[in-house]
Amino acid sequence: MSDLPTALTAEHAAIFGYGIAGAHLTGAAQDAARAAEAAHRARRDALLLLLAGTPTSAPPAAPVYALPFPVTDGPSALRLAIHLEERTAAVWQRTLGTTTGDQRRMSLDALTDCAVRATRWRKAAGVNPATVPLPGTT
Amino acid sequence: MPVRTWVNDGWTRRSLLTAAVAGLGLGATAACGIFDDEPPTPPDPDPLEPLLAGTIALADRYDATIAALPELTTRLTPVRDAHRTHATELARMIGKPLPSSSPAATSSAPADAAAAVAALRTAEQQAQRAAADACLAASAKRAPVLGSIAASRATHVEVLS
Repeated sequence: MSDLPTALTAEHAAIFGYGIAGAHLTGAAQDAARAAEAAHRARRDALLLLLAGTPTSAPPAAPVYALPFPVTDGPSALRLAIHLEERTAAVWQRTLGTTTGDQRRMSLDALTDCAVRATRWRKAAGVNPATVPLPGTT
Repeated sequence: MPVRTWVNDGWTRRSLLTAAVAGLGLGATAACGIFDDEPPTPPDPDPLEPLLAGTIALADRYDATIAALPELTTRLTPVRDAHRTHATELARMIGKPLPSSSPAATSSAPADAAAAVAALRTAEQQAQRAAADACLAASAKRAPVLGSIAASRATHVEVLS
């Protein structure tokens, strides 16, 4: 069985998290948070569509997801954004080993997008280096 | 003298092959003692070998650029180190020792920092596609690490932009 339901849960959580992060960001960072949230919504919708054609049930979104640390200002919101992308990347990375064909391609695209956004957020937060050697394994 | 091809001469490819194989069979029978001593056919090269070679070459290219343009050291060193990590991972998956670098082959770094970064960015884009193709073609066991390598190269494009 693939890890696609787990990936869907991670996307639900990322969408929730960006709602929190975006509220504490301004200007270009807030725009980037909204774009990231839209990207995760698009991935969630694609997953819902995919799982609708299989016997696997799609886990619904929870009303609230626990945050890894209190998010109270811009710097903590940037840290949350980095965390959301790293966690989602990790889930998609594992999915690569349980999928083939188009589903694996979808997983690879998702992993790559998460890794690139994590790098952008690290740059915005002044984290150096902004890259990690093996995204999805940290 | 008319030129006749094997097609309109009544010969078919199959009949030619049959004749060739029959001849080979006679020869093989006569020389079976020689064939007995032939070493076993070496296994096919691992499909990740080209990716490993390209990864080492890319890391060497960063070394050459850093040597020629020390002002890029801080920016390029983490990326170079990532490629070395990828090479180690690829060699581990293939099941062979990590080959040594060949920096002599990559001594032609651009003299201008902006041109050097642009050239590396193009190389990363190509390398990302190579790793993505390898990931999509790989076994379930190998796909996650290859996906991480492809994603890593996309982030390199980002920091070189």
